Amino acid sequence: MDTTSIGRPDNDFIQDVLGLGGEDLKKCYQCAACTSACSLSTEQNGFPRKEMLMAQWGMKDRTIEDPGPWLCYYCGDCSKVCPRKANPGETMMALRRYLTSYYDWTGLSRRMYRSGIWEIGFLLLMAAVVIALFTLPHGFGFGLLARSGPAPLTHVMLDRFAPVAIAHRADQILALFLAVFLLSNAARMFFFLTRGRKIPVGLYFTYLPVFALHGLTQIRWKSCGSAETTKNWLRHLFLVTGYATMFLLVVIFLPWFQVQNNSFHWTSFLGYYATAVLLIATTWILIDRVRKQDEIYRYSHISDWLFPILLFLTALSGILLNVLRLMDLPMPTYVLYTVHWAIAAPMLIVEVPFGKWAHLIYRPLAIYLAAVRNKAEELSAEKKVDLSEMVA
Amino acid sequence: MANARTPQSEGLDILVLGGGVAGISAAIEATEASCNVTLIEKSPTLGGRAVRNHQYFPKLCPPSCGMEINFQRIRKNPRIHVITQAELERLEGVPGDFQATLKIAPRHVNANCTQCGACAVVCPAERPDEVNCGLSRTKSAYLPSLTAYPPWYAIDRQACVEGCHACVDACQYAAIDLQQQPERKTVRVAAVVAATGWESYDATKIANLGFGRCRNVVTNVMMERMASLSGPTQGKILRPSDDQPPRSVAFVQCAGSRDANHLPYCSAVCCSASLKQTTYLHRQLPECKTTLFYIDLRTPGLLQDFYSKVTADGSVRLIKGKVGKIEEDAATGDLIVTAEEALTGKKISTRFDMAVLATGMVPNTQGLPEGFHPDEFGFLTNEDKGLYGAGCVHRPSEVVSSIRDATGAALRALQCVVEGLPRG
Repeated sequence: MDTTSIGRPDNDFIQDVLGLGGEDLKKCYQCAACTSACSLSTEQNGFPRKEMLMAQWGMKDRTIEDPGPWLCYYCGDCSKVCPRKANPGETMMALRRYLTSYYDWTGLSRRMYRSGIWEIGFLLLMAAVVIALFTLPHGFGFGLLARSGPAPLTHVMLDRFAPVAIAHRADQILALFLAVFLLSNAARMFFFLTRGRKIPVGLYFTYLPVFALHGLTQIRWKSCGSAETTKNWLRHLFLVTGYATMFLLVVIFLPWFQVQNNSFHWTSFLGYYATAVLLIATTWILIDRVRKQDEIYRYSHISDWLFPILLFLTALSGILLNVLRLMDLPMPTYVLYTVHWAIAAPMLIVEVPFGKWAHLIYRPLAIYLAAVRNKAEELSAEKKVDLSEMVA
Repeated sequence: MANARTPQSEGLDILVLGGGVAGISAAIEATEASCNVTLIEKSPTLGGRAVRNHQYFPKLCPPSCGMEINFQRIRKNPRIHVITQAELERLEGVPGDFQATLKIAPRHVNANCTQCGACAVVCPAERPDEVNCGLSRTKSAYLPSLTAYPPWYAIDRQACVEGCHACVDACQYAAIDLQQQPERKTVRVAAVVAATGWESYDATKIANLGFGRCRNVVTNVMMERMASLSGPTQGKILRPSDDQPPRSVAFVQCAGSRDANHLPYCSAVCCSASLKQTTYLHRQLPECKTTLFYIDLRTPGLLQDFYSKVTADGSVRLIKGKVGKIEEDAATGDLIVTAEEALTGKKISTRFDMAVLATGMVPNTQGLPEGFHPDEFGFLTNEDKGLYGAGCVHRPSEVVSSIRDATGAALRALQCVVEGLPRG
């Protein structure tokens, strides 16, 4: 770390972190007990004391280049051992919220993280758009007043209410939208974490498996300190398999998964698995958040509530939709189909590129880039040694 | 003890609770203003905690010689009435005129004792020696300290073998009475000075530092006893797991101090105490490497000079960074101490033979009567008339400051005495 200058403190940055959950960070007196208590903190990547200092002193430029907040899985050992009750664990969470909003170039994320009204308002707006698409006359070719005439009310004929070809295309457009925003934000993160560093290009390829491993398994979480770690990690892993399954079903297999009448298709089994996982895991997480027993669930920002609640409601409306369809209740099926969309689409639009869900790419990217950076530093240190040997 | 109280001075007494360096100083100072003092001490000997130290800082000399001088002054001073093994049971009355009821536990040994030690030789029972933090044991008939005052043995009846009277039979001086009963005594005093001192913070409460779980983690108080000639190892500093001299020692500052989970305050003495301990450790074991982990090195006032002297030769490695974790290598008993060097940002896990936890001071206010008002941390505030704290029960301090504080408390107590005198 360059210790010659710290620059001017960025007061807005300090205020942002204080407001995003780091309100106790100014109590920190830099004793460094947190870093030494952290089981994920290493010689090359020590945290969270460094992050506490950067946040206290308003060192925004260093913070946005720092992978530290994403290397933490929040067991809370640091907060337990903190002699000042400065809550380094929650400050790391606040920094993740800050970074999520900072990586986002649209500024939308920043507004939503700083104001619950913005977040809920934006969700409701998106929901209104979805409902409008289904209810306005001739609204883009589907809905009750579809161009092909009203959907029949004698039996469920989902294809007449929401033609699967259009729904599928809508899903793909949505997925593309999410990918464009999320990847552009991730690109910004990539830029911040690598700028001004001499990194041999080959390293980016050598370490790609690190990205894949941690993106898919979150295995690093397993080494985290808390007694609840294995439970939390496994629960999260199941949650990942649940939404990944659902994502594939909706974006790729919708023509089969969206069954048109009260018949049955085998893809529903995959849907049942995903639904069960999503319902159980989100309920369990919400219960833990209410109970506040685990250090990780003691403090909840509004974003921490909205994400699991929306995920839960998406799964719940999805499975009820399936029940109504099998019971051959046309009108309730159509209404719930609209509701399901009006929950799921806004959730995805808000959470994936701008909200908490964005960590699905930020975390593995940080772990990967931290490994790349560490290796690059090792190599340049070796080179320096070589040079000094030559001089000698 | 002999008490040459003059009738004219009846009602002008001061009661001092605690016979450590603060209590003794307050008592002697008050008598120098012609006041009579009853000095009571809970244990069987005066001396308190300071005298248990191997050395005290910044002078780095044994505290026992200073204490010997104080004992001399008490011995020659007819105005001080010392009662050991005594506690204040009840306090009634108003400032200027208190009635204090003292409960005196039996010593079972009287002034005939010559310290010949025959009782201890024949004694079949043992007890843990709390002076040595339980690191050694004494017989049930024991000499409370090499410099005990009064200079007599004592018998711990709770540790005795039922029905045994071997000591009585062995004593040639008829000094032992196993049937002695507790007594009560009432004194009239104008003011009470509580110099009840401190306890070391219970290190087992600091779970991450491993005390009680790792054999070679000791407290600063234990270290002091190990270095002391009268200690459990006769002055040899040995690590507990294998009784070998340590080759590396970690000094862990703020073990439970400045910590919202333990003691929120700074005890002000532990940094200097640890620096002191490194000096005699290096003298005894020149090969031993010492590392001191700190949050801030606090050597207030003139102690800054002490800090400069001790650290000048670089023999102590100073690391800014609170220790977060101590773990034991079960095979060797070695300790893995984890900290972050805050100045470089490097997290380190280092192997040490032994670790010394600098535990802080907890004011000992247990058993004080109502009327003494502790502050939020338990230290006495001295805001109430007639009842004053002195020394470490008032604020955490080293020996010299304790003596000054005791002098101040004695002066305030004297003001109560003078107010009760007839004018003119």
